[in-house]
Amino acid sequence: MALNKKERKNTELKVALAGNPNSGKTTMFNELTGSRQHVGNWPGVTVEKKTGSAFYQDYSLEVIDLPGTYSLGAYSEDEVVARDFLTAGDYDIVLNIINSANLDRNLYFTVQLLEMGVDLIAVLNMADEAEKKGIKIDKKKLSQLLGISVVETVASRGKGIERLLEQTVKNRDLSETALKIDYGQEVENLISETEKMLKEYDFSKQINQRWAAIKLIEHDPEAVKLLEREIGVSKAKKIKSLIAERELKAEDDFDNIIIDRKYEFINKIIAESVQRPAAEDELENISDKIDAVVTNKYLGIPIFMVVMWSIFKFTFTIGDPLIGYIEAFFGAAGGWIGGLLVGAGVSPLITSFITDGIIGGVGSVLVFIPNIFLLFLAIGILEDSGYMSRAAYVMDKVMSKLGLHGKSFIPMIVGFGCNVPGVMATRTLDSKRDRIISILINPLMSCSARLPVYVVFAGALFSNHASTVVFSLYALGIIMAVIMAGIFNKLLFKGERSHFVMELPPYRFPTLKGVFIHMWEKVGAFIKKAGTIIFSVVVLIWVLANLPLGVEYASAESLIGQFGQLVAPIFKPLGFGSWQAASSLVFGILAKEVVVGTLGVVYAAGEGGLRTALTANFSPLAAYSFLTMVLIYTPCIATLGAIKSETQSWKWPLITASYLFVLAWIVSFVVYQGGMLIGIGV
Amino acid sequence: MPLSMLRQGETACIKEIVGGRTAKGKLNDLGFVNGKTVKVHSSSGGPLIIGLGDNRIAIGRGMAHKVLVDQKGCEN
Repeated sequence: MALNKKERKNTELKVALAGNPNSGKTTMFNELTGSRQHVGNWPGVTVEKKTGSAFYQDYSLEVIDLPGTYSLGAYSEDEVVARDFLTAGDYDIVLNIINSANLDRNLYFTVQLLEMGVDLIAVLNMADEAEKKGIKIDKKKLSQLLGISVVETVASRGKGIERLLEQTVKNRDLSETALKIDYGQEVENLISETEKMLKEYDFSKQINQRWAAIKLIEHDPEAVKLLEREIGVSKAKKIKSLIAERELKAEDDFDNIIIDRKYEFINKIIAESVQRPAAEDELENISDKIDAVVTNKYLGIPIFMVVMWSIFKFTFTIGDPLIGYIEAFFGAAGGWIGGLLVGAGVSPLITSFITDGIIGGVGSVLVFIPNIFLLFLAIGILEDSGYMSRAAYVMDKVMSKLGLHGKSFIPMIVGFGCNVPGVMATRTLDSKRDRIISILINPLMSCSARLPVYVVFAGALFSNHASTVVFSLYALGIIMAVIMAGIFNKLLFKGERSHFVMELPPYRFPTLKGVFIHMWEKVGAFIKKAGTIIFSVVVLIWVLANLPLGVEYASAESLIGQFGQLVAPIFKPLGFGSWQAASSLVFGILAKEVVVGTLGVVYAAGEGGLRTALTANFSPLAAYSFLTMVLIYTPCIATLGAIKSETQSWKWPLITASYLFVLAWIVSFVVYQGGMLIGIGV
Repeated sequence: MPLSMLRQGETACIKEIVGGRTAKGKLNDLGFVNGKTVKVHSSSGGPLIIGLGDNRIAIGRGMAHKVLVDQKGCEN
């Protein structure tokens, strides 16, 4: 096919990776592109196409990793991304990544692609797993039966990659005819008649006509929409009524026949090309044994909680001493550079810009690199090991009480890293209602950007109970999310339950390479954020702290001071009515780390560092109330932007921003006033 | 009988998938097709865990109700 290929140089190739989830697609992508990836994504939860580049001989390959999908049926948004890309046809070749140990289901997708006329190479990945199970695949036979190239690989160990690249380059100009499956006389007659009508109505030549006819017979909504767009509603109606008329006469549903025949076709191919030991299925494998414990009715939830607690402990216990070192480094650097600048006769204004502004602001954020690094390492391992889907299964009990199902829990875990991919991960949910509720509560999952704020305050004011205080905030976020999901479930939507089916992939050891690539991506993004958004905001705040000219730096009379004083009364009943706190919250909407950055600048970090300044300005109760506010209030603009683009409307980001602010205010009010009443932490 | 009524450890053969386009399509995608053998690995109130060949699939009770099975098993 490849009719929509854009003009490219002879030595440039556009290659798409497509296949079932858990077929090792992302591992293959990492193997092919190494660190040459242009768009970051969350481990495992590939919901957007991701591009990278690879080189082979004189050829340069643009590699696109598509979200995993079981078919072209596209029942959820992430599958729509894959399907739209594949049907649009702007690529030279598709590498169809296939889990060799799971051939029949994987071939279901392969066959669909071949029917559409896609030029592809069947990549029999995870060949080692198949071998371990005693499955023998006759590659030659398979290649012959399907009429395509077949390459065997083990992406996790880099095996067969050279050969795959060689074959890809070799097949670059190949244009094969689409696969034809015999659907039996009744259906075949209807297919050819439909095809004839499509031709008569001059339906798009860019799409394989037989495939389009089959899709229409299957009542594929996208195909129907496309048809109506292309030839007009009235002509489309004629085709639809032809199909409906035949359906009435038929004994069995046509889509049943089509699916059955397709699987029959696949079974025949497998019978001819695959040998596998009999009755191996009855043996319980290791995954089943782990699952018997991990998904146990009584143990499931406690185990999940222990896992979350361990991630948390891991992030802090290892991260904290490292933070100390980096903090000491920035402190020393600030003093040293400050001294140097003064010694060199640089004006005090510029010295203040560098020491108070840049080092005090950006430095106070960069200090948290170790925590961010460890948190993403832990979540990456959690996902790559296959535990994430078990967590979703276990949490189904809790989620179903809220009218959601277990799968909705995965975006929430992703949200602990960052709410932007968390919001995007809701694409895997197939009902609109589940998606909206999951999006609305996702910002309550405390993301890694809020971590620096907690750690700085906890270290300054709750040194003995620092990790308990921080953990309590995470827990509070989850509790609020649960409560809000329950409320939204009652308020906003009725009926429309979605379908819960989810694969539980076998447990795997995460590959070091995979985990590290994702981690670097995230830490890189964090450093980049510190260097761009956070840096700019911090500079802005430093400028505002110095204006109007001649004002005392970061005093109440400076612009930022005046601005803060304007907003501060809103927060007074919550225990932190200072202009510094108020302005840090306002600017924190740009990025949550900015809360720390702003405090670093306006408290001019000075002698004892930010921690000393906080101890002097906050009571423990006020600090906890402030942290509650930071946890819950309006999400950062990046998250709001993601909500806008995922929901295609301004309504939901506006609702999210406002309900969270009100909720934050109420909770902080209860915390502070309640604490005052019983007299703790005053 | 519907798949949802099988007890833990029992196997059966899929006879028919009933229900709307989306439900049916999703089930087919994951390998729930007529003539396949299914085994209930876990059934404890919540979603079931079903073994379909080497695959393990978590399926909500509502969805499991749409899969009609025969406990006599598949012919071959």
